[in-house]
Amino acid sequence: MAYYIFTLVFFLFDYFILAMGLNIQYGITGILNFAYIGFVAIGAYVTGVAGLPANVPGQHYILGLGLPFPLNTLLGGLAAMALAVLVALITLRRLRTDYLAIVLISLSLVFYDFCNNYVSLFNGADGLYNVPAPYAKSLGLGVNSFIIFFACLTGVVALIMWFVMHRVLRAPLGRTLRAIRDDHVAAAALGKNTFRMQLKSMMIGSFFAGIGGGLLIQFGGSFNPTAWLPGETFVVFAVLIVGGAGNNVGMFVGALLVETLLIHLPAFLPDIPGHPGLIEYFDLALVGVVLMLMLWFRPQGIVPERLRRSASFGAPERLDEEAGRLDQTAAIAAGVGIEQADHDTGNGR
Amino acid sequence: MSLFWLSVGFGLVTSSVLAVAAIGLSLQFGITNYVNFAYGDFMALGAFFTYVLNNEVFHINIWIALAIAALAMGGFGVLINQWLLGPFARRFQSTHYVLIVTFGLSLVMLNVIYSIWGADVRFYSLAAGSAHHVGPMLLTTNQLIVMGISVALLAALHTTLKTTRLGKSMRAMSDNTSLAMTSGIDTRRITTITWFLSGALAGVAGSVLGISEGNLTPAAGELFLFVIFAAVIMGGIGSIYGAMAGAVFIGMSTEISAAYINPAYKLDIAFVVLILTLLIRPNGLIGRPGTTEA
Repeated sequence: MAYYIFTLVFFLFDYFILAMGLNIQYGITGILNFAYIGFVAIGAYVTGVAGLPANVPGQHYILGLGLPFPLNTLLGGLAAMALAVLVALITLRRLRTDYLAIVLISLSLVFYDFCNNYVSLFNGADGLYNVPAPYAKSLGLGVNSFIIFFACLTGVVALIMWFVMHRVLRAPLGRTLRAIRDDHVAAAALGKNTFRMQLKSMMIGSFFAGIGGGLLIQFGGSFNPTAWLPGETFVVFAVLIVGGAGNNVGMFVGALLVETLLIHLPAFLPDIPGHPGLIEYFDLALVGVVLMLMLWFRPQGIVPERLRRSASFGAPERLDEEAGRLDQTAAIAAGVGIEQADHDTGNGR
Repeated sequence: MSLFWLSVGFGLVTSSVLAVAAIGLSLQFGITNYVNFAYGDFMALGAFFTYVLNNEVFHINIWIALAIAALAMGGFGVLINQWLLGPFARRFQSTHYVLIVTFGLSLVMLNVIYSIWGADVRFYSLAAGSAHHVGPMLLTTNQLIVMGISVALLAALHTTLKTTRLGKSMRAMSDNTSLAMTSGIDTRRITTITWFLSGALAGVAGSVLGISEGNLTPAAGELFLFVIFAAVIMGGIGSIYGAMAGAVFIGMSTEISAAYINPAYKLDIAFVVLILTLLIRPNGLIGRPGTTEA
């Protein structure tokens, strides 16, 4: 019983971290990052190969540093961050919303394909396994007690990450990112370098993705390519939308409702005889349906983003549902064509 | 029989499949101005409709089954637009919402397909057909029919777009929806017809993909979607003729490169082409800046 409960607790905290990372990218800055799970995967893989010893028979991978817990996970987070810089340099400067979404989703498929085929990188389609469980040996933990220990450890990490994110979002950086989301033309006109800001947002979010991925691989001890097909990105989006884009409390609520209750609780149900995987398929379809209903009936999420008083220059804050219309008003007020303000995110034409 | 010409033959077949799929996606994008991320699953659903008609209960000839499935998928496209995507697109100014909805629709459709047909690999029942020498290439009867279907559809679409009133309205709407509306074009009707065509083309593309690959799986459409994106972006998103050109280029380059380097890296070749296009000509080969912006 404790095993089940603490597995759920682990996923709650882990997806809280993942959702906070996506939140700064999409909820705060408005970058529709459909490749999010790719960054999670890089974090997980790099954490794995940094934690595994140099030579394990039967597995092929790079690095193999044998680093202990916080170091290998940090390395995973930094690797995801580095990838974000690369991706942002190619895509953010010149692409408008839907191009960006297409390229990112394609990227996540190509990562998948590449890691699947290029065996010497992360052991190909078999994925990594026997990743060391942090402190299990030195503390003498069994399978059950390790689950409890690691769930609590993830809780501590999540708390630290939450504190950091909280500070980032309250800092001038957070305000600038919101301004870019609401009206990037106006933000640029006020002298903000929108590309640099979006790049920062991508890096911070990807770092969170990498840490979340690193915790994921150490919790289960293994990770393989099928765990990060584009559909998995959608689960994080569902957490974000259901909880309420733009605020961290919403991310926690979303992680609790979507990831813990909707996805992981049914996973403990026994299979229907003769139909392996049927429950999982239904469950994922249900997540999609819930998300659509949510977007239609309560697009601001269960915990809506609070209005901020700091912007007192007549530029209306985003009310989520009304966002489009307000964007438009702001754009007209700023004397900018609607088409332009509504549709492009880059400046590369 | 050289390896080169063999791969050119494969390239032509892949290009034919890709062209049908890319045009279906591009057509819908041009009219509605958002990308349908569930398009790969439209293809998969079409392929499984064909499979049911062809194999399980009805045992209809594969080509007739394909036509029926295409019509059914057209109807499905209309319904999805009517009840799901259309309302979302009208309600929210920002395209983010409708993009997330299509992404969600993709997850729903994929998992519904999985729950009905399971994850097993399935096969159409169709005559193997003999191989024919066409110039220096070697192609089977089925491959030739697939290419024929593709060419016929492209020709029909070209004629419709260039000569009929409907085609003219579609092109007008693709250029500028507001202007088309003020000129008295019934934009809702055109949107509905476009969704029908897009769905039907997805149905055909999914089925011929199954035929040319020799098997069908629920996830096949989703992986293929990315190759379609590469073709569509290369040609200039929303441009029909660009999509055709992009399809031929991507189809040929992936198959010919597969003959000389590891075929497992086919997707990566398509991706490299995609990235180069984005870096060098972000509006695509034929895309006009004016149309891609609106």
